[in-house]
Amino acid sequence: MRIKSQSIRRLVAVGLVLALVVIFAITTPTFFGARNISILLKDSAYLGLVACGMAFPMIGGGIDLSVGGIVCAVGIISVHLSYDFGLSGYAIIFIATLAGAAFGLLNGIIVAKVGLTEFVATLASGFLFLGLGRALVFKDAGGRAVTRAVSSESYLSFGKNPLWENGWYLITFVWIVVAVGLYIVLKKTKFGLYTYAIGSNDKAAKMSGVDTTKIKIIGFIISGACAGLAAFLVTANLTSSPAALGDGYEFKAIAACVVGGIMLGGGKGDTINALLGALFMTIILNGIYKFGLDSTFVYIIQGLIILLATAFDSQFAKFAAKRRLKEQRLSDITPASAS
Amino acid sequence: MSKEKNVIKISETDASEPRKTEGELLRCENIDKLFSGVQVLFSADFSMNYGEVHALMGENGAGKSTLIKIVTGVYHKDGGQLFIDGEPVEVDSPIDARALGIAVIYQELSLIPDLTVMENIYLGQELTKGGMRQKKRMRGRTLDLIKKYDLNLNPDAPVEVLSMADRQMVEVLKALSQDAKLVIMDEPTSSLSASEAEHLFKTIEGLKSKGVGIIYVTHRLEEVYRIADRLTVMRNGEVVGTLTKEEINPKTVTTMMIGREIKTERQGRAPRNEEMKLEVSGLSYGDLLKDVNFTAYGGEILGIGGLVGSGRTELVHCIYGIKKPKTGKITLNGKPVSRSVIKNINDGFGLVPEDRRQEGFNPIQTIEKNICIASYDVLAKVLGLVGAKKERIWAETAMEDYDIRPRDRNFFVENMSGGNQQKVVLARWLARKPRVLILDEPTVGVDVGVRAELYRFMRESAAKGSIIIMVSSDLFELVQISDRILVIHDGKFFEEFEGDKATQQSILLASSGEHTEEGVAL
Repeated sequence: MRIKSQSIRRLVAVGLVLALVVIFAITTPTFFGARNISILLKDSAYLGLVACGMAFPMIGGGIDLSVGGIVCAVGIISVHLSYDFGLSGYAIIFIATLAGAAFGLLNGIIVAKVGLTEFVATLASGFLFLGLGRALVFKDAGGRAVTRAVSSESYLSFGKNPLWENGWYLITFVWIVVAVGLYIVLKKTKFGLYTYAIGSNDKAAKMSGVDTTKIKIIGFIISGACAGLAAFLVTANLTSSPAALGDGYEFKAIAACVVGGIMLGGGKGDTINALLGALFMTIILNGIYKFGLDSTFVYIIQGLIILLATAFDSQFAKFAAKRRLKEQRLSDITPASAS
Repeated sequence: MSKEKNVIKISETDASEPRKTEGELLRCENIDKLFSGVQVLFSADFSMNYGEVHALMGENGAGKSTLIKIVTGVYHKDGGQLFIDGEPVEVDSPIDARALGIAVIYQELSLIPDLTVMENIYLGQELTKGGMRQKKRMRGRTLDLIKKYDLNLNPDAPVEVLSMADRQMVEVLKALSQDAKLVIMDEPTSSLSASEAEHLFKTIEGLKSKGVGIIYVTHRLEEVYRIADRLTVMRNGEVVGTLTKEEINPKTVTTMMIGREIKTERQGRAPRNEEMKLEVSGLSYGDLLKDVNFTAYGGEILGIGGLVGSGRTELVHCIYGIKKPKTGKITLNGKPVSRSVIKNINDGFGLVPEDRRQEGFNPIQTIEKNICIASYDVLAKVLGLVGAKKERIWAETAMEDYDIRPRDRNFFVENMSGGNQQKVVLARWLARKPRVLILDEPTVGVDVGVRAELYRFMRESAAKGSIIIMVSSDLFELVQISDRILVIHDGKFFEEFEGDKATQQSILLASSGEHTEEGVAL
């Protein structure tokens, strides 16, 4: 039985994560400490949630550059809901997710109904959301931005402390549940299968009776909802919403997806790829700090990783094309029983 | 060969300088061409004179483009000799061809929309002095050219504001500015409206009177009557013959194009099911379709013929719901057909599109997903959840029924041969037992063996009572497979044929707007 190229790509992602873990485990004794693992998984979760959402527009052949703006806006809205209106954390987690979904819906409508390209539409809406978030920042009488700490117990229970001593944070579980849930949505539902179809060949999908507009809009809604959920959980961990919250999240999430094996251009990958990618990106940052390397290296290393991942993908595509030619020649003469 | 030859220069001489305008311009003698051992041109002869419009016709695959590409240096000939002005020449590259004064006007125009007419003409060969563009001099030259060939163009107009016909003129002008004496036009009217085409013909006459030779490749007989001085017809890689203006008539030309017709045994048709009918009346779409009326019945394969670009694809897209007709009524068994593809598919419609790669299949998905994509209305139930087993059985049954190879549902469709890819697209619909199945050029790029299988599947589906509509440019297929054939001409159905009466020649004549004995005028 042939190994599918997607499986090979997943093995590469897993291999990368494992290789990193081994390197850091050998070189830095504190790496495998329960506390470090716990923090590492928590940090991966924020990025990972956004990346899992991002997977949908990307698999559908598009992109969502507005998630950074959504995180910023929903983060500050969440804090306001607690600080000004005294809502409980349980209510706010739902509102935050819904708010993110609403922003996503807006993206979807701009892209699918107005007909702008995903790149431009979400670039613009991302700025709008970012602006909204900045406008809502708490200010003192002189108009200077100030930080307001969340004090609600139920709010903070989502992120301030691990569930047990040096144990996992709630957000880690939320992340894994969301990633697996969305994996099932992608692989087992009509909507998920249509998402792959539009990412693979939008026109053919339309000809086969797929409502491509609807599928695109739902993809953006999922991306927005994940970003909204992540925003709430980040503020629960930080106990406040800094003005710079969400800055650059869109690119980190895209990088995580790409490194994990979701192709720009669509049609391939899933949320488990996004999960692995986010883990990889976070471990490498964590490791760099543990190594005591200068923080300027972070960007250089991130850049190199993305370059290597995409270079691998393009080389792998060439290899796959060669194999394809061979199979094409064979496929017609293969006896019917072969499989 | 001297290096000198490869230098293209804008004529430094005055545009009004007299050039050779009479005598033989180009002669091709015994041109042979093989592609990986398969001969596609057999000792082709062709000649043309200065100031002549020489039309070139032939069915797809007759060898027209191959011959043109040899003349323009895109392909290398495997035998024979080219002569320009009676001198033997070697054309090894498009650059050589341009240096010899041979220019091609491409269908996808190579102009830059943001630049002006003049800038486009001089693009890459600007007249400069000390590194500065000599705008005045270029403008003057351009004006001289426009005046000489009597064109209605403004040298300072940006190309993006020009019509398609004017853009073609700019291309022609660009060629003339480089001293072209032979201009090759490949289906130049395919992207033009009727009035634009008329404009083009006037320009062609102007060029002709100035001694420019024009090879005019076309499918349209009307255009040949209109402008050609001579016509050369090709078939199966051979030049069948050359006709003078007086000799050109539809019967002769179509006979030359088709040759001896071989009619093999027809498969028996199933009885027509009058209960099942798709009725179209008064349908119009854009400027292409004016007033289309017909009825298709269950149990029969209805062929739709006509020239490429006559609106056949648009017609079936209107029926399927992917395009919106301007006017008209479409009903299935008396019930209006929806304008939504999704509703129509649920109602039993299916379409195998013309462009398999662009619109037919999802290349990076498996056979299973490609077959199942149109059937999740059946395969998915609660919450849109799709059962893996249901999906697998659906795909495996279809693969078995329609003999899709390899018999591996997880095989990626991009890795399959063209014929099996088409089987996948067809199986997607046949698995649903469609009521109306539309096939647009179903056998393009499909090898002979698979072709026969596709015909059998169509016939079986018709026998089960489905309405099968097949659009095809392959005359043999159209005549051989269809129970009834409707031919589009000038935005309407022009003639109707019974399958056993139709001949390839009669279909071709009707496509060109000539009534035939075999068909019934509509």
